[in-house]
Amino acid sequence: MKHIHYVALATLFFFSCKDEMPKEWVLNQQLKIEGVNPIGITEFNNAIWLSDGDHNRLVRIDASGKIVETIDGFERPMHIDSDDTQIYVPEYGSDAVINVKGTERTMLQITDSLDAPAGFSIYKTEKAIADFYNNRILYNDGSNWMSFGKEGRAHGDFYYPTDVQITESEIWVADAYNNRVQVFDKTGKFLKVIGEDQKMNAATGVFISKNEVFVTDFENDRILIFDHEGVLKQELSDKVEKPTDMIIKDDTLYVINYRSGYLNAYEWKEAEKQHLEETHHDDHDH
Amino acid sequence: MMKKIIMICVVAIIGLSTTTVKAQKKSMDEFAIQVDGLGCPFCAFGLEKKFKEFKGIKKVAIDIETGMFTFSYPSEKKLTLVDIEKQVVKAGYTPITAKIQRADGMVETSGVETKTINENTVLAEASITVGGNCGMCEARVEKAAKSIEGVASAEWDKDTKLMTLKFDASVTSTNVIEKVIAVSGHDTKSHKADEKTYKGLPGCCHYERIQ
Repeated sequence: MKHIHYVALATLFFFSCKDEMPKEWVLNQQLKIEGVNPIGITEFNNAIWLSDGDHNRLVRIDASGKIVETIDGFERPMHIDSDDTQIYVPEYGSDAVINVKGTERTMLQITDSLDAPAGFSIYKTEKAIADFYNNRILYNDGSNWMSFGKEGRAHGDFYYPTDVQITESEIWVADAYNNRVQVFDKTGKFLKVIGEDQKMNAATGVFISKNEVFVTDFENDRILIFDHEGVLKQELSDKVEKPTDMIIKDDTLYVINYRSGYLNAYEWKEAEKQHLEETHHDDHDH
Repeated sequence: MMKKIIMICVVAIIGLSTTTVKAQKKSMDEFAIQVDGLGCPFCAFGLEKKFKEFKGIKKVAIDIETGMFTFSYPSEKKLTLVDIEKQVVKAGYTPITAKIQRADGMVETSGVETKTINENTVLAEASITVGGNCGMCEARVEKAAKSIEGVASAEWDKDTKLMTLKFDASVTSTNVIEKVIAVSGHDTKSHKADEKTYKGLPGCCHYERIQ
């Protein structure tokens, strides 16, 4: 019996001493979406939908990246979003947001005029629109519309916002050509800025998960991943080419690449030792 | 009385519909402009959107892959190549070639003029720093440099911000080249772009100013 205790203790000691590798997003798969230049991505009815701005359509793809459904006839659809019942399509070319529910299309009623809506977000009954040329965000709390922001470089100002996401307490904005993400409360009060020190060049897309903030650095061909306080955690650049948007579905991070048309799928797993050593070396260099 | 009113209404409706038919038959010129640096969809769709504001413009289309921007416009308005190129530049983009197919069959074209340099000329080489961000910046600064008499080649790297030049030193100099580039809205180490011109560049071209 004593021996068994020794073996158990030794085993426990062995496993506790074994290096636990930190986890990070690792590229697992690249899917070629033929003939699509994706700008927006959303999950609707457990499937991935993409907006194809160049070809004025939405496409639904299967697990292999094959297009299995197409909805045509949009005017430059941009950063789309969805809830349980429909897909919301901001149309850059028509200054409208279109609700797509099966074969039915209706226009979202807004009490103000838009100039090139580039991003849309739905959260419970709340809605937000990135109003590109008007340099502002329109926000609906479930009852009323309000707007905040103006053209400028100061905190709280925008220089062509392209994407927006509402979370439980905040509104996150891809302030594209100020090269940063800005965070606001639901009265439009500026709270914080993220990524301002990362020399991004066109922060065109943003996605917020429970613990992370994902930003597309369009011209620099990379995804920057921050925590919610703005601390940079990881950079994805391998096989990233003009990224525009991303989502997490079933624990997989999907990144769309506008130029190449590839959908990159990343898994959250232990980093490879070699890669970690390189990162460690880089840290020393800096 | 009632009969007269009905008759007037009918005549008015016929008159209106005839005008509409005539308007539909209006002859249109076809325009094709190749615009460089349209890599960003927000900028490309923005150019398209701004052109759509022109009254009477039809069949506006843009191909981001090739940078080809096409539309048709009423012939009676006599839009010229210069007008179109000016409009593209005003919107912050760089026209490379332009073509008009007039309704009467006439074709007008324009493109980047390449300066001929004697092949026996010994070319000087130099690198200069030019502020910029993206493909649109690249097109703009290279076009500005190549427009100068004596410049054989100009290639700008958006990562290093360096422009590599080959030029006839008896005809021009890096100082002249930097000055012309600054006029296009891009800082160099010796010449700074005018604030108004800089602010007029598209959003993606707002580079970090050179101090």
